[in-house]
Amino acid sequence: MRGDRALPAATERDRALRATAELWSELGYERLSAPSISARAGIDAKAFANIFAEVEAAAEAAIEVPLAAVVTVVAELYSPDRSEAESYAMAVVGILEWMADNPAYTYLGYIAGRQMAPPRVHSVYESGHQFLVAMLERLWASSTLTEQPARAGLAALGAAEAVVRREIVAGRFARLPALAPDFVYGAITPFLGQEEGLRLAELSRQLVKEEPPR
Amino acid sequence: MDVQQRETLLRAMLDELALAGYRETSVDRALAAAGVSVEEFEREFRDKDDCLFAAYDQLTAQVVARASAECGGGEPWPDRIRKGLEALLDELAAQPQMARALTRSFPGIRPAAYDRYVELLARFVPFMREGRAYSEVDEELPGEVELLAVGAAEAIIFGEVDAGRAERLPQMLPEILFSVLVPFMGPDRAADEMRSAAMSN
Repeated sequence: MRGDRALPAATERDRALRATAELWSELGYERLSAPSISARAGIDAKAFANIFAEVEAAAEAAIEVPLAAVVTVVAELYSPDRSEAESYAMAVVGILEWMADNPAYTYLGYIAGRQMAPPRVHSVYESGHQFLVAMLERLWASSTLTEQPARAGLAALGAAEAVVRREIVAGRFARLPALAPDFVYGAITPFLGQEEGLRLAELSRQLVKEEPPR
Repeated sequence: MDVQQRETLLRAMLDELALAGYRETSVDRALAAAGVSVEEFEREFRDKDDCLFAAYDQLTAQVVARASAECGGGEPWPDRIRKGLEALLDELAAQPQMARALTRSFPGIRPAAYDRYVELLARFVPFMREGRAYSEVDEELPGEVELLAVGAAEAIIFGEVDAGRAERLPQMLPEILFSVLVPFMGPDRAADEMRSAAMSN
């Protein structure tokens, strides 16, 4: 079971969402069902039906949990007192720390939403992903490249995400924050170059080691 | 069943998967397309999933072989990477249904199937190792730089296939090449390679 850290006094909706995330990450979308979600959440079928009209609605709501967490971390850690790239490096550490604590939602946000979701749910994932790509592409403003490849933001994020996905598939969630330097280097270098990529990778390494931002 | 029938059956199963989705994938239709009987199928495969996993393994072996065949030889590493990418993109563009099965339909079946997709990406990592010699900085590059390069290419390829534009992939060779080379060579030199690829593309 990819169990996330339990929250106190979870509502029936919270429990249904968490059960959806756990079962989806364990079995895949095709094997999700209202009875199995209800049973895992410890709520009766009628209560589930009152909260979510169908499994797809539960899946759509579940995929929004990691996306909302990412937006929250970014909002907390972006500061006008830091460069855009330094804020980005700090946000990466914060996001990876959240992911380490929330394996099932992480699986949804990184893998299931991308490649295991019906179109409606996939579009929710896509909107969140495009937000992250747009955030990264703001770094073009500091780039010296005159000719900027159209999909460089998508590719830079994809580079970093490939490392994270491999760890998720291997079940090594606790190791995710330690990947921050690789993530930051992969995401930053196309825009700001290798030296700056390595400098910010080192910054993220220190943040993980010394005082993980929350 | 003979080798040719097996090959046709595995292809037909992936076609079914890409076109109809996992739930509607019909073994019967694939058997009819391949001229294989139910008894022959049952001698070779436990069930639909067993056959689909075999089909995916065959497809990924072909795709990796096609790309890696172009990565050998004595040319400089960036040129060999360009040729390997070119072969890969041509292969995917020529078979959009297979491209969809490769990146979306099969990995989406369930987590065990997705694991195969991650294994596929890992098979491209060894081709990247030589890139470290092209770094412009004295410091050692991050431990995962090879997978970063593979992931960059995958992100663009996946996006195009997912959007139903697999046929356009060969046109994207220059910018995919940039994204693969940039973690090793930095943006300026990767952009030079991109421009060079654009002129010969």
